[in-house]
Amino acid sequence: MRNRFLGLAVLSVAVLTILPPVLAHHGTASYDTTKTVTVKGTVSDFQFSNPHVLIFMDVKDDKGNVQKWQGELTSPNHLERAGWTRTSIKVGDTITITGYTAKTGATSMWISKVILADGTPLNAGLGN
Amino acid sequence: MKNHLVYAILALLTALAPAHLIRAQEARHPAVETKGAGPDLSGIWNARPPANAKLPELIVYFSTFGKGEPAMTPWAETFYKSAKPSFGPRSVTMEETNDPVYQCFPPGMPRVYLHPFPMQIIQLPTEVVMLFEYDHTVRHIFTDGREHPKDVDPTWMGSSIGHWEGDTLVVDTIGFNDKTWLDRIGHPHSTGLHVVERMRRPDHETLQIDFHIEDPKAYTKPIESTMFFELKPTWNIMEQVCMDNGSFLNFEKKEAVAPK
Repeated sequence: MRNRFLGLAVLSVAVLTILPPVLAHHGTASYDTTKTVTVKGTVSDFQFSNPHVLIFMDVKDDKGNVQKWQGELTSPNHLERAGWTRTSIKVGDTITITGYTAKTGATSMWISKVILADGTPLNAGLGN
Repeated sequence: MKNHLVYAILALLTALAPAHLIRAQEARHPAVETKGAGPDLSGIWNARPPANAKLPELIVYFSTFGKGEPAMTPWAETFYKSAKPSFGPRSVTMEETNDPVYQCFPPGMPRVYLHPFPMQIIQLPTEVVMLFEYDHTVRHIFTDGREHPKDVDPTWMGSSIGHWEGDTLVVDTIGFNDKTWLDRIGHPHSTGLHVVERMRRPDHETLQIDFHIEDPKAYTKPIESTMFFELKPTWNIMEQVCMDNGSFLNFEKKEAVAPK
């Protein structure tokens, strides 16, 4: 009981002290940080490893064509401190991601927000 | 505008963090008694940027030492112009960067302080060990009264010795190789780099490190900088290996020009 309370307290402090994702992130030159985009789709791969966590998704456009999206997050170390585990997202999950898209126009983004199928938001954590 | 409001809310909510829970955890890990030394600096520490800092100041805090451009020599200017960082105002894409860290070379000292991952200080009677989570970087600061080796081998982290002046651990580091950038935005250093750190614990939850960075080959005057760290008693140092999943890193070797 005490550990769970402590864990919640740690999570809330960690979440509340999160700085904007773009703050300390290297490689932001690849992304257009002036606007965000949101896509919803099915997770096809989830690489919860250093240096950056990667989410791969199949996103259907309004014609039913599947677009392959890739989203980048910070280190799994920061995400774990913000409450994630390596199974927070699983292949087959339907999730919604929001972030800054690649300047090249490629379907990839630096993720600032993740929302699970049941509406639970996952904090995207501190950029490195 | 939105950012100001976000920071204000973050600052307010951070101030309401459960400090009593932090103290309860600390009681289970009592400080090490070190005879003849100063206060115990041991703990897990995470960089804490200045409160109320706006985004440009935050970027400076995590990208370089000092507040403005350092006074570079022509040698340093040449290097700086050819460096292509992937962070900060001059940043390029990961494909274009020639930052050695993004080819998984060690960040070295003092640059490792700028990467926002926690570090652990373990204070022992004859040395202070620093374990940085970033790239599993280790430092040994010998406090047993020794001098620097006469003909010091150049290393990525340098050779560090420390002594106490009252409540402050004064750390002197020389013996650097020249394979690292001084910071994350492409400022160089030479093998003549000399770093003096003054480390103290102004309160139980805070570590302050004042940096005095000298390198006459690169800078016409020393760089002064201060960083603050917050105690994180419930955190552990985790593994962070650059090569873990570097599929998107650019491993084509590109070096910044460093005229001898």
